[in-house]
Amino acid sequence: MDSLYARYPFFEAAREAVAGADVSLPALVAADAPAVERGRERVERALRSGTTASETPDAYDAKAELLSYPIARILVSLLESNAAVEKYASAEAATAADRIRADLDREDTLRSTDEVSLELSDVLREFDLDDAVRPAVPAAGGGSRDGGPGPAGPRASRSARDPEWFRIDVAPYLRLSDPDWGDRWRLVNRELRDGAVRIDRADLERCLERAVRSRVLEGLPFEFAADDGIGSDLEAHVADLRRLLDERATVGGFDVVVPELFPPCMRNLIDKAEREAALSPPESLALMAFLTAIGMSPDEIVAFCADTSLDAEGIRYQTEYLRDEAGAQYPPPTCETLSAYGICHNEDDHWQVAGDPLAYYEARLADAEDVVDWRDRNDVAEAT
Amino acid sequence: MDDRTREYLRGRFGDYYRDTSLSPPPGANEREWGHIPWTPGSGTTMVRHQSLLDLGNLEAFFRETAPRHAYFSAARYDDPGVSTMGKKGWRRADLVFDLDADHLPSVDPEAATYAEMLAACKDALQRLLVFLEDDFGFENLQIVFSGGRGYHVHVRDEAVLELDSEARREIVDYVRAIDLDVDGLIRTEQERGTTKRVLRTEGGWGRRVHEALVEYADDLRELDEDDALDRLRELDGIGEGRAKTILGAFRRNPDAVREGNLEAGGPGVRRLVSALCAQVTADRTAPVDEPVTTDTHRLIRVPGTLHGGSGLEVCRIPRTELDAFDPLVDAVPDRFTGRTIAITCAEETTVELNGDAVMVEAGTNTVPEYVGVFLMARGDASKAPER
Repeated sequence: MDSLYARYPFFEAAREAVAGADVSLPALVAADAPAVERGRERVERALRSGTTASETPDAYDAKAELLSYPIARILVSLLESNAAVEKYASAEAATAADRIRADLDREDTLRSTDEVSLELSDVLREFDLDDAVRPAVPAAGGGSRDGGPGPAGPRASRSARDPEWFRIDVAPYLRLSDPDWGDRWRLVNRELRDGAVRIDRADLERCLERAVRSRVLEGLPFEFAADDGIGSDLEAHVADLRRLLDERATVGGFDVVVPELFPPCMRNLIDKAEREAALSPPESLALMAFLTAIGMSPDEIVAFCADTSLDAEGIRYQTEYLRDEAGAQYPPPTCETLSAYGICHNEDDHWQVAGDPLAYYEARLADAEDVVDWRDRNDVAEAT
Repeated sequence: MDDRTREYLRGRFGDYYRDTSLSPPPGANEREWGHIPWTPGSGTTMVRHQSLLDLGNLEAFFRETAPRHAYFSAARYDDPGVSTMGKKGWRRADLVFDLDADHLPSVDPEAATYAEMLAACKDALQRLLVFLEDDFGFENLQIVFSGGRGYHVHVRDEAVLELDSEARREIVDYVRAIDLDVDGLIRTEQERGTTKRVLRTEGGWGRRVHEALVEYADDLRELDEDDALDRLRELDGIGEGRAKTILGAFRRNPDAVREGNLEAGGPGVRRLVSALCAQVTADRTAPVDEPVTTDTHRLIRVPGTLHGGSGLEVCRIPRTELDAFDPLVDAVPDRFTGRTIAITCAEETTVELNGDAVMVEAGTNTVPEYVGVFLMARGDASKAPER
């Protein structure tokens, strides 16, 4: 059970486990327990990389992992920044969505006993959606009809070829989706009937990600009394994170696209995608974060990646998450983080120039003369 | 409006309320109440931000104040009587739809009679109800004649009460087919390495277009070859070759159309689907007034009260009685049907109410009271002294 809670610490039962366990958060903080360091990492990774997964997962046991979540919530509240809270919630949601996908996709037979067992019906029940979401079973002879009531997710009906369809009640659909996600998310373009909307598994998972985000945002930021001891005990961590926030806020701001000057790791990723090779999720996230941070709009990124293995829908999905409402962006990961994923290899010893792709690009731009923005070249090409 | 007319109407509205028992909406004490009193002058000042507590006993309030117009909020608040929206503490709101003759594309308000406007509005209401009942599956609906130029529908299904304004806009756009992606109605399915184009038949606008397509294909099959081809060629972008492909596919495999499979129809099918879509959206949308639905703080007329611009009752219409409902008969208050009164009109006019057409001449007339109240409330007549 602990490992399930450690993976999904925002689950109601996990919260109860924390409340019921004989631990006091102020005591953990005062003792600078591993959960505190991991809590700080959660927030830092959320702000830097859009995930809250640990870079060194083996360093923490399930208990520290679970307890790090309430610590992270305290830390992000102490930052006193709405943008940070939103970013943190989105990162928890994105991480949870990846885990849910991985846990549900894993074949039952391959599960070892110590692994987490999670069914779609568990996740739906967690968000009070077990009555609102039902499998839509394809009928014989084309088309499909509704399945009977009951918990969703009969694995037996899944096959690699058929997309799996569900029907979700319209009110939760509207609550858990956003018309800004694209035309097909607009209700007018959905198959609505008898109060329910037909969606496929990928769309359902995206709705669940939104549900996680709302759950994480509930109650944030906490209000602290001025004399609250926990604030002063966490002061050093908060100062680090705040510095990160400030530093990140000033990165970028340039709005010029010169692919020739892109840092080597980004060039590598583009070359790889142009060879029609699929990028791994961290690779495509790193590339999208970089392209977004240098000021490219989703449309421009789609155009830029037209001849690559990256599909337009995936690009839009990812870049929407990378832009935040204030217009600031998730910064791309640092070179060090990228190297952990095998993306950056310190080509030409470029870490000497700068420790992250943006700063590197900025430095090269500053040295270059007579650059022509790729977008302007593109316009010329279209006009002739 | 002169003093005599205003005092008369106020007195008679009061008499109406003395006979009437208003049934308040659910959560009446959490709603904001507002009314427009019979004040002299042309100004219409609304008294709002009142809670039920401020009004006191609801029926006593109506008997004594006999307001010209009365409203409550679609929303329920922690503290409905506070004077600023931000401080009221919004909790939830009914999902409200307003159909008003002024917003119907098929009605020219200058040329249409009142009866024609209301008939067009009732047609639009029936279309709206198809969406609300069949597509959305709402169960707790209250249909109301506004007493003026249209109808209101209050939806109180638990699941919709907490929807925000953006979600409500999605519902409006759905029933009005705004931003409908016509190309998106056709989906490409992969089957053993080949692609198949299919219509989205499982609900929504796709299902409506599919029904129209099945009907169209059935009609085509009834025609002889030349007539069928001519009919297809009437559509934009469909020439002889495409028409033949479509007709051939419809004749060879009628089941494919019924299943929404468009693959055999060739490239012309897309044109056919667009043309049918244009027709279906023109025929079936319900032109609801968007801001009424998306404004979650909106005030709306209280059912059971009188509309001060017509003297007609704002009446609830049970679902089973909607087909038979005639606003010009059923919304005439019984209180105003028992006697005649004297009024003065500047111009001659005809009033169709309560199943009669009453001619009114310029000058002083003696008319059924409901006709007099209607004309005075509209500002087309004034009260004359009774002899």
